[in-house]
Amino acid sequence: MNDLAWHEFVELFGPAIVAALVAGAVAPLVGNFLFLRRTGFYGVALPQFAAAGVAFGFAVLPLWSAYVGLGHLDEAEISSGSHAALNYHLLWASLFTFGGLAALALLGRKGRGSEAARVAAAFSIASAVTILAAHESPAGEVFVHSLLRGEILLVGVHELEILAGVYGLVLLALVVFQRELVLVAFDREAALVTRRPVLLLEALLLNLVGATVSTGVMIVGPVVLFGLLVVPPLAARGLARSMKGYFWWSATVGLAAAVAGVALSYRLDWPLGPAVVVAAAAWLPPSWLVDRWRG
Amino acid sequence: MSTDEAALLEARGAAFGYGGRAIVQGVDLVVRPGALVGIAGPNGAGKTTLFRGLLGLLKPLAGEVRRGPHPIGYVPQREVYDAVFPLTVEEVVHLGAAPHFRGVQRFWRALGHEEHEFACRCLDRVGLHDQRRAPFASLSGGQRQRVLLARALMARPRLLVLDEPTSGVDRAAAAKILEVLRDLQAREGLAVLIVSHELPLLRAMAQEVLWVAEGRVQHGDAEALLSPESLDRLFAGETVEAHA
Repeated sequence: MNDLAWHEFVELFGPAIVAALVAGAVAPLVGNFLFLRRTGFYGVALPQFAAAGVAFGFAVLPLWSAYVGLGHLDEAEISSGSHAALNYHLLWASLFTFGGLAALALLGRKGRGSEAARVAAAFSIASAVTILAAHESPAGEVFVHSLLRGEILLVGVHELEILAGVYGLVLLALVVFQRELVLVAFDREAALVTRRPVLLLEALLLNLVGATVSTGVMIVGPVVLFGLLVVPPLAARGLARSMKGYFWWSATVGLAAAVAGVALSYRLDWPLGPAVVVAAAAWLPPSWLVDRWRG
Repeated sequence: MSTDEAALLEARGAAFGYGGRAIVQGVDLVVRPGALVGIAGPNGAGKTTLFRGLLGLLKPLAGEVRRGPHPIGYVPQREVYDAVFPLTVEEVVHLGAAPHFRGVQRFWRALGHEEHEFACRCLDRVGLHDQRRAPFASLSGGQRQRVLLARALMARPRLLVLDEPTSGVDRAAAAKILEVLRDLQAREGLAVLIVSHELPLLRAMAQEVLWVAEGRVQHGDAEALLSPESLDRLFAGETVEAHA
C-alpha cells in the first residue's frame, strides 16, 4: 500500500500519469497495423532495439565526450533526467530503432528467410547487444535495468512534452492516412493497380512505428511499450465488429489499461509500467469470450 | 510507341516475365472505352503474368505498356484476403475511393457525405446494400466478389480489370456478377478486361480475347477464337486466324 495520499500521488507523478495515458491511447493504434500486417513480433523486437541503442550510447559515451562533446552535460550527469541526457539517449534509441527497422524491411524485400525468423534473430541480437553494451558501462547497466523495469514514475515535464509532441504527430498521420494504410495492408496489389503511392505509405508506416518505439522506450520504457503495442490490438480484435470499431476499441483498451495501471500502482505500490501491461492483459479473457460467443 | 489517344490501356510488342526470363511475349493490345477483352489459356500458360504485366505490377521486359490517366477499377481473386481484418462490407467499399491526399478536399467531401452516398449507390448496383454492415469475412464467395466490384466502382473507373471473378462461386452468383458487368459496360461504356479460365463465359461476354499458350499470345475475335473448332487447334498449340 502506498504511503502517499491520492492527491499527493497525482501531484507528484502527474507527468508520468499523463504520459501513461498518452502512450495508452496512441501506441495501440500503431500496434493495430503491426497486428493486421501479421508483424506483431515487431512490437517486441523494436523496443529491444531501442534499449540496445540506449545501452550502446552509454558504452560509447567516453568517445562521444572526447570527440563530439556533450554541451553542458558531463559524464556523471548522463544518467540524470536533464534535457541534454534525454536527447542523447533518444538519439541512440532512434538510430537503433530506425536502423533495425530499415534492416528488417530490406531483408524482407530480398525475401531472406521467414519474417518470424528474421524478427526473432533481430530480437536475440538486440538483447545480446543491450547486455554487452551495458556491461561496458556500470552507469549504463543501472540505467538500462531501470528502463527495462518500466519506471515511468520518473517521467518529468520535458519527457512528457516530447512524448505528447511525437505521439500527437503519429496520431495525426494515422487519422489522415488511415484508409490508405489499411488498403495497403489489406490488399497491396489493389493499392498498386489503383496507383496509390504504396512504397511511400509503407515508408510512412515504418517511420510512425520507429518514432513511436524510440520515443516510447525512452520515456515510458520497453515493458509498457511491448504491452501497449501488442496486447490492446489483440484484445480489441475479439471485441470489434468493424475496422472503425477496432481502432476505437484498441485505444479504449490502452487508455483504460493506463488508468487501471495508475490505480494499481498507487494501491499496491507496483511499478507503473508492468501495472499498465497487467491491466491491459485483463481485457484478453473477456475479449476471447466475446469472440467465441459471436462465433 | 505510336499511341492511340482514346486507349485506356495499350501494349505494343510487350514481353513479361520474372528474373529477366520472358514468360509471355509479343503482346499487342489496345483497350478502348466500351471494349470487353478476355484473357484465356491453359493452366500455367502465363495468363496471370500477362495480366500482372498489363496492370503495371510487372515491368515489361520488352516493348511498352501505356495506361491512360483515368482511374482503373481492380477486382482481384477473393482468396487473397485475410480474415484478421475486421472490415465491414461498407468499409471495404470505401477503401476503393479515389485517394485524396489534399486534406481540405478530403475533409470537405467527408462533410458533404458525398462519398458515403456514392458507396451506397455502388453497393446498390451490385445488390448488396442491405448487407453493408455485415462483416466482409462472413460473406459467401460470390457476395465477396460483388463487394470487391463495388469497391472497384468507387474509383469511378473507365476501365475495370477482373481476375477470375467467377472462380469458385456458384452458378447463380456468377450469373449475378456477369449481369452487373454487362450492365456497366452497356450503360456507362466501361471497358472491361477479364482473365478467366471459364471459356464459355468469355465466349458469351467478351468481344476480343488474348489466348496465352506456350509463351505466345494470340489476339482475336472472341467468338471465332473460342469456337470449339478453334479451341481444339489452340490446345494443340496451333495458330488460329481470328482477327479482332
